[in-house]
Amino acid sequence: MSEPIRSDRASKFFGWVTDHPKALVVAGVLLMLSAAAFIPGLTKDTSSDAFIAKDNPARVYRDQVKKVFGLSDPFVIAIINHGPTGVFNPETLRLVQWLTDRVKKISNVDPDGVVSLATESNIVGTVDGMQVSKFFDPPPATQAQANVIRAAIADFPLYQGSLVARDSTATLIVAEILDEIKSETTYNAFMALVKEAPQIPGVELHVAGEGAISGYLYNYIDRDATRLNPIVAIVITLVLFIAFRTVWGTLLPNVVVLATVAAAFGTMAAGGISFYVITNGLASILIGMAVAEPIHIFTHYYEIGRAHPDLSHRDIIVRTMIETWKPLTNTILTTVVGFISLYLSGGMPPMQYFGLFAAIGVTAAWLYGMMFIPAALMLVKFKPSPAIRGGNTTDRYGRAVVALGNFSIRRPRLILTVTFMIIIISGMGASRLIIDEALIENFQQGEPIYHADKAINQVMDGTNYLDIVVETQTHEGLFNPDYLRRMDALQRFVETLPGVGGTTSVVDYIKQMHRSINENRKDAYSIPDNRDLVAQLFLLYSASGDPTDFEEEIDYDYRRANIRASINTSYYTNNRIVIEKLDQYLAEHFNTNEITAHLSGRVNVNHHWLKTIATTHFVSEGIALVISWLMAAWLLRSFSAGLFTLVPVFASVLLVYGVMGFGGIWLAVGTSMFAAIATGLAIDFGVHTTQRIRELMQSGTGTFEERMAQLFPSTGRALFFNFAAMGLGFGTLMTSVVPPLVSFGGLVTVAMTVSFLASIMVMPAMAKLFRPRFLGFAPLPEEVAQNKPLEPAYSVSTVEKGR
Amino acid sequence: MQPKMRHTLIALFLLFPLFASIAAAEALPAGDEIARRINARNEGEVVSRFVTMAMTDRGGTERVRETKSFRKYFGKEKRVVIFYLSPANIKDTAFLTYDYPEADRDDDQWLYLPAARKVRRISASDRGDYFLGTDFTYEDIRKETKVGIEDYAWKTLGEEMIDGHRCFLVEQIPVNEKTANELGYGKVQSWVDAEIWMMRQAKFWDVAGNPLKTSQFKDIKPIQDIWTAHQLISENHKTGHKTVFTFKDVDYGRNVKDEIFTEDALRRGF
Repeated sequence: MSEPIRSDRASKFFGWVTDHPKALVVAGVLLMLSAAAFIPGLTKDTSSDAFIAKDNPARVYRDQVKKVFGLSDPFVIAIINHGPTGVFNPETLRLVQWLTDRVKKISNVDPDGVVSLATESNIVGTVDGMQVSKFFDPPPATQAQANVIRAAIADFPLYQGSLVARDSTATLIVAEILDEIKSETTYNAFMALVKEAPQIPGVELHVAGEGAISGYLYNYIDRDATRLNPIVAIVITLVLFIAFRTVWGTLLPNVVVLATVAAAFGTMAAGGISFYVITNGLASILIGMAVAEPIHIFTHYYEIGRAHPDLSHRDIIVRTMIETWKPLTNTILTTVVGFISLYLSGGMPPMQYFGLFAAIGVTAAWLYGMMFIPAALMLVKFKPSPAIRGGNTTDRYGRAVVALGNFSIRRPRLILTVTFMIIIISGMGASRLIIDEALIENFQQGEPIYHADKAINQVMDGTNYLDIVVETQTHEGLFNPDYLRRMDALQRFVETLPGVGGTTSVVDYIKQMHRSINENRKDAYSIPDNRDLVAQLFLLYSASGDPTDFEEEIDYDYRRANIRASINTSYYTNNRIVIEKLDQYLAEHFNTNEITAHLSGRVNVNHHWLKTIATTHFVSEGIALVISWLMAAWLLRSFSAGLFTLVPVFASVLLVYGVMGFGGIWLAVGTSMFAAIATGLAIDFGVHTTQRIRELMQSGTGTFEERMAQLFPSTGRALFFNFAAMGLGFGTLMTSVVPPLVSFGGLVTVAMTVSFLASIMVMPAMAKLFRPRFLGFAPLPEEVAQNKPLEPAYSVSTVEKGR
Repeated sequence: MQPKMRHTLIALFLLFPLFASIAAAEALPAGDEIARRINARNEGEVVSRFVTMAMTDRGGTERVRETKSFRKYFGKEKRVVIFYLSPANIKDTAFLTYDYPEADRDDDQWLYLPAARKVRRISASDRGDYFLGTDFTYEDIRKETKVGIEDYAWKTLGEEMIDGHRCFLVEQIPVNEKTANELGYGKVQSWVDAEIWMMRQAKFWDVAGNPLKTSQFKDIKPIQDIWTAHQLISENHKTGHKTVFTFKDVDYGRNVKDEIFTEDALRRGF
């Protein structure tokens, strides 16, 4: 700290920086503006598909299946009536007609792809033939007519649970949309329509469906980001003002923040990478992290200015930079490592990009800290900070840190015992950790769409689809009655799995048609024995159906068919069981050389990327830990010292697992990123503390306590504001309306708090108790000889200088 | 056609050269006039023909069905019977329809399923329903080469060449929402041959205004003095589904027995 300015490479570099202040400030501003210029070109992608790589086999197969069977993620309006007649009364059915007519007119809705009680036909057998007629046209005028429709649905298994609730309390209007990109405006149109619909007492209207969820998520996160980011910026500015109480100490770090955000989002836009659901948290996090470095720089700057009033402003700046560049570069490197390990973990693309662009942003923050801040400071006069008085005098924040630190040095055993107990309890919590995810949980429970999803899945078979694609080897292979019976048995099996409300396939239609040509006899609801009859039933159907009516059930040459299972939950834990049991059934009872079945659909695709959450999480955390350790070891030239810097990391990550386990917080998409990020951030605390303790042990004088007295008011205070800025930055995420961001923000805030406390309490306590050599402690000769436990209180006075 | 209307048509026909000389040379016939001209064409009292129906889905998979079909007017009532010849699994399946002139009387339709040895009566189809898995609606098939004058407001938009023939481009807007919903069309544009008053191309939009399908009438040549399209193509722009009807051995002169249009004949074959 008190060494003279050396004319080494660092001082030459910062000399050069301070010699060209205007040019560097102009270049910095220009660079920032040119990066920001790309930002308007950012595209959003809030689909679930974004989480799985385009070349993932599950997704590739699903896309093929989608193409063959023309499936899309529809919009759904549910009409729910808990009255005695359910939806089967003239008023409610009139409303179904009213809504259906208007849904068809919503732009982006395919009017021929709208399915409801008002559009669908009943297939029934009569004495001499088959009757295909609308359930109603026009809607019924009397209750008696409505009862007839109720009876017709009760006799038509295909629509039960899928179009009308089995208990008659609800019916759906399902609309296919033409362009999924426009789902946001389509969602708004649906919501507006539901609002202006005639009010009927006791009738609830809900808009849901996968199309609606991704449509709404789009504007949901947009609104959230628009609200969150200014809050974070204001909070950070306040922290800066409290820390320094100067104009430039508050303003310049904000310029670094802008540059950081511009660099991350500008390169994202320039690289053509989409803005995903979780990218929403990136700005807030970057804002929090970008100020960490300026806080350390300004702390030093004001301290040196106070301590050396004789120095020129340029010398103050150069000296500040010489003293801070190394620890800051180290901590930036470790933070970048945390983010890069997210990128390297090879997990879900949005997470990988989150890591990549956070790393880019943090690197920009470092660059601006190293060059823009010193250059900009050259352009103004030195004005001391009223908050930093230099020496051992400090403000209330510094005093609080000193109190905490001194307490831990006085009672190291107590501190370590408490730490140990917390570790044990956290470990117990961690063992209860649940890995789960559900798209709908991205919304708050008070949101209409959340309510709609729950309401629909409660009364209907389910809006989460698992597709089972059955494939035969020959053209028209599926006319074979044996294969149809095999499919039928498979459907019955699937219906026994948890959460599965029902299944539909072409087999159901064949059975219904077979019944209809046999005078509607119930016993004829069966698969015909004659394969030609199957072919002829399809021709019969085409006399009144659309050419593409069976497109979603069977392909055009009757070789492949799709069985769609409706599941009433999107929870990973539930659907994992469904998929595992189904896979087993297919292998043991279904697949042969002639006929095979594969899983597809939204539920299967989601399962495939969700099952990577745990692996991605632990792999990225593993990479982060190992690289952080190696880097810290390299910086401190000691593997043990590297391990010591990981103390805040282990403490914070373990405690967060504990909080998650006891708090029932899932390890899910949003939360699974916390560990790698927390590692990158927590190690900064470890590195700062380790370096400073070692420095004080090597260069300072006096007892361990006396030396540490310098650690707390300066480094400790900077760490406190570092923690405050980041903690508040992440903490602001807790005010988000996107629940995973709330959890994520909360967990990282906990991690930051624990890291801070570990760095100023646990680490000094450990140092005192264990007297590690790598920190500069040396054993007293008499202690070695007597092999007595070390007494650091007087051992520090004999510490040798250097290593 | 109503006698009164026929008189009007004859009168218009006779007066046409006069109108033409009075109006400027580029004046185009009004939309309804074109529609009347289309419907005034002779399409024969009886016709028998082989029809190959080739349907292709968006993925390019094709279904080909060979049929033999007969059509005969019984007064103003039109009867059509179609016998399937191939593929093997639907061979001998047969479809019979009676199309009554009264607007409020539903058609009667039957289908014979040889595998079940049963003739089944099929409920009347709506005008906008698709015909036997093709991209033509029942209305398209019923009208054959004619048009529903009363269903649309007709407007002539101009002249264009189609396949080297001068055609009038006519826009048809359904007269009301109910008709639009029945037909399944919100708008139609037709290219009508200015010489023989036959449609050569038509474009359809759905009731919400999205492009729906394009139909083409190709290989038009006279058979027994009746202009006959030997190929009908219809392509649905929304589903990617496509239908091609190819006509062979078209015969307007052959004696087609009345008995062929009965349930018994469906079982026996033609």
